[in-house]
Amino acid sequence: VSRILRLELRRSAALGAALILTVVGVLALYFAEGIGFAEGWMQLAMGQRIYLALLWPLALAAGAWQGTRERRSRVTELFASAPRPNAERVLPTIGAMAIAVIGAYLLVGLAGGLWIVGTARYLPVAFFAVTAVGVLALLAGVWLGLAVGRALPWLATAPALAIAGLGLLLALPGMTRPHGWLALVFSPIYEMNMPDAYTTVPGRVSLSQALWLGALAITAVMLFASSGWRLRVAALLPVVVGAGLAIAVMPQQNRQVIASVDKSAQELVCAEEDPRICVSRVHQGLFSEFTPAAQQALTAMAKLPDGPTRVHEDTTTYVPDVYAPWDTGVALVTVEVGTDAHLEEPDQLAAKMVQGAFASLPDCDKSAAVADQFAAAYWLIGTEPKPAEIFDPDERARTVDLWHQLNGLPEAEALAKVSALRADANACRVEGGLFGSAS
Amino acid sequence: VRWLGLYLRSRRVPVAVTAAAVVAVLMWTLWSVNSDTRDVAPQTVVLTVLLMVVALTATFSGPDDALESTAAIAWLPRRLAHVLAGFALIALLLLVTLTTGARFGPAWMVLRDTAGLLGLTALGAAVFGTARSWFLPLGWTLAAVLFPQFEPLAARVLTWQMQEPASTAAAVTAILLAVGGLGAYLVRGPLPMAPAEAAQQH
Repeated sequence: VSRILRLELRRSAALGAALILTVVGVLALYFAEGIGFAEGWMQLAMGQRIYLALLWPLALAAGAWQGTRERRSRVTELFASAPRPNAERVLPTIGAMAIAVIGAYLLVGLAGGLWIVGTARYLPVAFFAVTAVGVLALLAGVWLGLAVGRALPWLATAPALAIAGLGLLLALPGMTRPHGWLALVFSPIYEMNMPDAYTTVPGRVSLSQALWLGALAITAVMLFASSGWRLRVAALLPVVVGAGLAIAVMPQQNRQVIASVDKSAQELVCAEEDPRICVSRVHQGLFSEFTPAAQQALTAMAKLPDGPTRVHEDTTTYVPDVYAPWDTGVALVTVEVGTDAHLEEPDQLAAKMVQGAFASLPDCDKSAAVADQFAAAYWLIGTEPKPAEIFDPDERARTVDLWHQLNGLPEAEALAKVSALRADANACRVEGGLFGSAS
Repeated sequence: VRWLGLYLRSRRVPVAVTAAAVVAVLMWTLWSVNSDTRDVAPQTVVLTVLLMVVALTATFSGPDDALESTAAIAWLPRRLAHVLAGFALIALLLLVTLTTGARFGPAWMVLRDTAGLLGLTALGAAVFGTARSWFLPLGWTLAAVLFPQFEPLAARVLTWQMQEPASTAAAVTAILLAVGGLGAYLVRGPLPMAPAEAAQQH
């Protein structure tokens, strides 16, 4: 069998399909919407799933193109005259196309993995589940293509099937509204876009999707291998049972993936060499960049009477709305990973950490202005704020201005102002900022 | 007239025209049933144009292109008429909808995308053979529909199918593809395929 399979790999559309899918997948991953997977392995797995929007229709087309081969080569009658079961003949084709799409999907993942392998550490089980569902989607797609191509052996079948497949993926959310969880059963791309740092895909969601796609794949193989109406009718059974099971397994609530939080990824892990400095588990590969800035910030904050003695990542999530625990002894900082898989704006990081000392409770409406916070932070660190580091141009000018005012004061007087700002901000009673000028 | 009848039959034009019309009616019905807005979404317009071009693709080759090319017939004007008739058919079917409750427009976008995609398909037929001529139009258009980009200029060229009607970059790209593809097809005709593969035309 392996000799025939190798032969089939060479003479079928398998290698060409694998090449096209890999190239398109890698280009999409890196260039379609910018690099969105730099944060970690889970983000890569989900990012790859989103681009199934492109790869799944192409897999359908590849399968259909291969499925029309016999008709194209005018050998249907010749093969039908051979006294062997049809299933025996189609098995190598099924295997070759499966190897092609599995290989392509994994290669795309590998290409993305190379980008983040230096900084991504946290590898949850869900990563493998999400990837497996992606592989299964391509498998079901290419086999369904084979079956359709064999049933309708025309030139237009493959491209029309691809367009129909894309149309289905795009239309599913609208068709199932307001039951978004139904779209999640049948669409491998639904809710996979823009995962944040702690996003995960719940196991039951992946299981439900795998049940549906697996059933679809079995039906497609039965249709492709069938030579009579009995098997074709029987092929309906797996897809119906699979759809029923998948719907039964899927929890019936909307926004499941968007609202899911991987507690383990979110949990704080402290640096081995300095237990005052902690980031979430998903960001632990970034300690080498995070720790020096955090130590600089801790040194600066030590000037404050009763200042924060620890720097933690701010693990607040907005869906669901859960804030990081409030503690004035801890300076919270949001960890933002750039598209290069390293920390964003490393020069500004220490100032952002010190800024955390001037934070207020989330629901406070008398918190310190950003310009005041930054001016105080830079004064504590002892460097002039570089204008490029502050995003908003108004805040930028005000920050530099306030910093110069602080720097002009005697040390003790400036420290008193900065300490007062911290006390007011922490207690949520800021009235005028550093110099009484209401902001 | 007798020649025309034989030609249309050998290229399976009746089936292709019917398929294109069915696509137009189907997409028009789907939009009318599922949407409250009169103007069809650009994604749907572009995919409809692509589907109709795909429906006509098979007519770019006959049962035996190698045999056809040996005939002492002036193919160039006939091929020109063939491609232009295909363009007119798609444009007409979609522009008619502008007077109905589900408008496939704007008109210039339909004309631009039809010309560009038909040209790209003709180019594919001349270079790779008709059986493979849909590879590039399909892959390119699916990517452009999913991830249209509007800045910088290179992105407007790369996703020309989805650009606003006012976009010069998209118009130039489409015209280049249309003229280039038409030229290649007029001069070379469809790449003759191995006789065993010729049964594809169906």
